[in-house]
Amino acid sequence: MIMQGSKRLLLIGLVIILGLSSCRKEKDIYEVNPEELQLVETSKFKLKTVNQYVAILYANLFQEALSANKLVEINRLFEAIGDDQVAKEILISNFMNDPSVVLPSDTDMRSDPETFIYETYVRFLIRRPTEAEQTYFMNLINTNSDITVELIYFSFAISDEYEYY
Amino acid sequence: MDRRKFLKKSALTAAGSIVMPYILPSGRLFAQTGSPMAGHVVYVLFAGGVRQQEAISQRYLDDSQGVNIPGNIMYNMFNGAAPAAKVVYGTDVPGEPNGSAPISSVLGNTIQSMGTTFAEVRATTAGHYSGLNTLLTGNTGVTQGLKQKPVFPTIFEYLRRHAGFSATDCWFVGNGIGNSTPLLDFSNHDTYGAQYGANFLCPSVAFGADGVEHLSNAKIYHPDEELDPMYKMKYFLDNAFRSNGGIPVPNIGNTEDEKQAIKQFVADMFVKKQAGQITAPPVSDNGDLNTIGWACEVMQRFKPKVTVINLSNVDGCHSDFTGYLRNLHRADHGVGFLWNYIQTQIPDMANDTVMMVTPEHGRNLNPNPILDENDWFAYDHSDANSLRVFTQMVGPGVMPNLTVGSENNPIGTTMDNVLTIGEIFGIKNDILSAGLMSGGAMSLFDRI
Repeated sequence: MIMQGSKRLLLIGLVIILGLSSCRKEKDIYEVNPEELQLVETSKFKLKTVNQYVAILYANLFQEALSANKLVEINRLFEAIGDDQVAKEILISNFMNDPSVVLPSDTDMRSDPETFIYETYVRFLIRRPTEAEQTYFMNLINTNSDITVELIYFSFAISDEYEYY
Repeated sequence: MDRRKFLKKSALTAAGSIVMPYILPSGRLFAQTGSPMAGHVVYVLFAGGVRQQEAISQRYLDDSQGVNIPGNIMYNMFNGAAPAAKVVYGTDVPGEPNGSAPISSVLGNTIQSMGTTFAEVRATTAGHYSGLNTLLTGNTGVTQGLKQKPVFPTIFEYLRRHAGFSATDCWFVGNGIGNSTPLLDFSNHDTYGAQYGANFLCPSVAFGADGVEHLSNAKIYHPDEELDPMYKMKYFLDNAFRSNGGIPVPNIGNTEDEKQAIKQFVADMFVKKQAGQITAPPVSDNGDLNTIGWACEVMQRFKPKVTVINLSNVDGCHSDFTGYLRNLHRADHGVGFLWNYIQTQIPDMANDTVMMVTPEHGRNLNPNPILDENDWFAYDHSDANSLRVFTQMVGPGVMPNLTVGSENNPIGTTMDNVLTIGEIFGIKNDILSAGLMSGGAMSLFDRI
């Protein structure tokens, strides 16, 4: 009797163990591969309109949107000065003279140029710099005390890449 | 040296000596085909809608309002006596009817007596934009759309490409930004285009209230300490962009120095304007006259090879004949002032400038029903009379006191001016060789 009872218990235990370790439907695990959100390659080929350029420039420099009225006024000025490049340079230098322009300090730039360069590329060109670009600007900032945030921002704002999206 | 090497070097040297002389300092590949007659051209687009009757025909109210009072209200440009009565085109005098004081003549001798007048020229169109297109491209441009860059190359592009002019050698000064005028600085033609364009400037807008708010506080950066590194960074970014397939932004190709000169000019003009020192004709109570004053500032600063000035106030004739007479009188005053200013205030251009004046089209023979303050009828522009205009030229190489053509013998078209300017600068054949002119276009010098 005892023997039979043990066998039964053993059988039940075996069934339980097999049941627990038998095939089960696997759980789906969804993951995202690690990716840099800011691309390096430039795939911009659409030229910004004057309105787009000015609105984006203003947002980049002042961290706020330009009013519709001012956008119309500035657009008229671009029509009145035929060379867009000249008009842009005059407008940017006006913006740079505006006390509400939001620029990092030169001290901040020099204390952490790598971060400054990265943030500048993201701010203006919506991408991270290549190693060559990072190296160029690092060298420029580290070896030239006359280089300011304003000049770097200016050069980004008049670059060809900034004119496209 | 062995014989083979000697022959190879000799052949290369000979080929080089043939090719190199044609690569000129100006950047042109070949020498221009003719000799320039003058160093500068000032080209006045004398507004759209100038009736021959009130202009060169000097009929004043006689041929428009059924009032038998003829007379010349453009006595800087044309020979002839002013109207003897019903003077409404002048300036206001307290206690007198409006416009009763005619503006004094600026010039001692008329443009007609100093130069050549084509008295009856045919315009190709009765529309403003197409008319301006013809005056600047020498082509009828039948496929030309509004709000579209010129289909055919402009005179600016011909001059920059074939005479080697720089961007600041070519200016287009407009009195407004309406009617697509700013599009006329260059065409969208494949083989010319932006890189050969002119510097367009509309001073009334650029230096108006919007300009004061958004442009007048510009910094002028130091050329060596600030601009130089800034442009170097820009060029670095541009090279990186292009190496990844990026496309250069089309532009008219002002050099760094030219851009700096324009920025300095803009800054200086805001200061001059603030001080009330902008050049202006003695009477400057409309947009055309102020535009001429600004054009004088441009010429004084840049001494352009070619300056095009666009006037348009006379077009108010659609609803105001009296205002039209006033603006016509003022346009004449402006042209007189312009010629006098060039001769007396810009030594680099005096005696070395040819001025051309042509309206883009005329006005109708018959009026519309709109009456003005004097109960005079207004005129639109759409009929055959709207294709009747004149052209005047004055300066070195232009025959003085010569009138070509008459009401019954039209000679010349508005297409001719581009080739005429080409001839003045010695590139007429280069323009013809480009094969983009209308078939009927000729230099006006060839029509004499």
